[in-house]
Amino acid sequence: MNDFLASWSLFWPSYLAGWAIAVLLAVIGVWVVARREVFLGAAVSQASALGIALAISLGAWSGAHWFERDSVAAGLAIATAVATALVSARGGGPGRESAEGIVAWIFLLSASLPTLLLARSAHGLEEIHRLTFSTLLGAQPADLWVLGALLVATGLAAWRYREPLLLVALDGETAAAFGVPRRRLVVAAALWLGVCIGFAMRVSGMLYTFGCLVLPALVARRLARESRPLVWLAPALALGAALPGFVIAHVTDVPPAQMTVTLLCAALALAWATGGRRA
Amino acid sequence: MADEPLIAARGLALGYGDEAVVRDVTFAVRAGEFWCWIGPNGCGKSTLLRGLLGLLSPLAGALDVAPRLADRARIGYVPQRGELSDALPTTVRELVGLGLVGSRVPRAERSEAVRDALAQVGVLELAERSFWSLSGGQRQRALLARALVRRPELLLLDEPTEGLDVATQQALLATFDALHRTARIALVVVTHRHEIARDHADHVALFADGRVVAGAREAVLA
Repeated sequence: MNDFLASWSLFWPSYLAGWAIAVLLAVIGVWVVARREVFLGAAVSQASALGIALAISLGAWSGAHWFERDSVAAGLAIATAVATALVSARGGGPGRESAEGIVAWIFLLSASLPTLLLARSAHGLEEIHRLTFSTLLGAQPADLWVLGALLVATGLAAWRYREPLLLVALDGETAAAFGVPRRRLVVAAALWLGVCIGFAMRVSGMLYTFGCLVLPALVARRLARESRPLVWLAPALALGAALPGFVIAHVTDVPPAQMTVTLLCAALALAWATGGRRA
Repeated sequence: MADEPLIAARGLALGYGDEAVVRDVTFAVRAGEFWCWIGPNGCGKSTLLRGLLGLLSPLAGALDVAPRLADRARIGYVPQRGELSDALPTTVRELVGLGLVGSRVPRAERSEAVRDALAQVGVLELAERSFWSLSGGQRQRALLARALVRRPELLLLDEPTEGLDVATQQALLATFDALHRTARIALVVVTHRHEIARDHADHVALFADGRVVAGAREAVLA
């Protein structure tokens, strides 16, 4: 523990960013799990990797190195994540591909295209590997301000709209019949999902982003008897895994993202084994 | 006005895209009436119900809603069973409380309104139970309580007895009768079961191929 505290002065932006991302994504993850869109979470995370690859490859091809700036890469990561979330929110329909099919297509394209785009760039490939395998070492103090703003906005929206959102997730037809603007809420939630995942992905990478998005909500769902507490229980579980996860990872000299995700997976397995809710 | 229709259609056509599923339908539902819309599956009954709920816009004709119901705050709706997602945990009390979304019931009265609605349909003792652990009949009563918690003047029910055993159906229909007679709530029940129309409704419309083919109770049940 003392060893971990001694590393604080060097790594505090990474630690704080990791914990903030865990809490932020766990709140949003409740909506993703409630809508049975777990695979969409993976596709949106992967799509933001494509945005970052586009920024690097555009910079290399055009010679305009401002493309490779953090802000531009973050912007393109968010743009591709938002586009993915919005396309999936549109959903399938008669004569159209199913939402699930579209999400699978985006996931596979976003997983393969970045490597093709950056095949001849050692720096680019390294960045893609960093995003795929998740490392929090790249977090900057400025990221904390953005994450703080996203957390506050997400918390306020979750508090203000928790009941309409829950009703839409549980029974969309009745929500619309009761005057809830279902379509607008779904599109707004998709937009916000893209923004938060796109930003978190650039800071923490695919594994940590996807893990913190879906695992805390899945565990919370097994533990809670009602839906309303999920909005605080999921982030509490995420933080409960990320705090010790980072300490254990530091002490044992292993990556913190993988340790945190492993702890969350263990928590979910334990929730399954003990039977969870619905008695 | 006491006799003003709560909801009235004149030559109404509804559908998806440009394709009409329901055509040339005319009716008026007034306070305290018990309507049954009967017909085979796929004849357009549920589409008409979606139109009444404001989920579909008329392709032709007119659908007039009494001004006090225009924001749908005092319209209750019980969907077909199986339309709820079981991705979330919920208790009966929480589910019924979600019926207050968009209603005019003041915040201070909401806990009491939930208790009243549960008691009204006889499931108060199930309030803390998981909704997903209930039997089919108990779930249907919980969904009915979710609609009643809005203190509706008009209650729309889509195939409410589907999949229930005979005894549970009879108990549920007795609850509908009580709501109709004592609370003077107007009911519109969509069903394909003629006996519900025969034994409970005071207005009946028979649907076939998206049209009302018989409107007078005696003609339909003859």
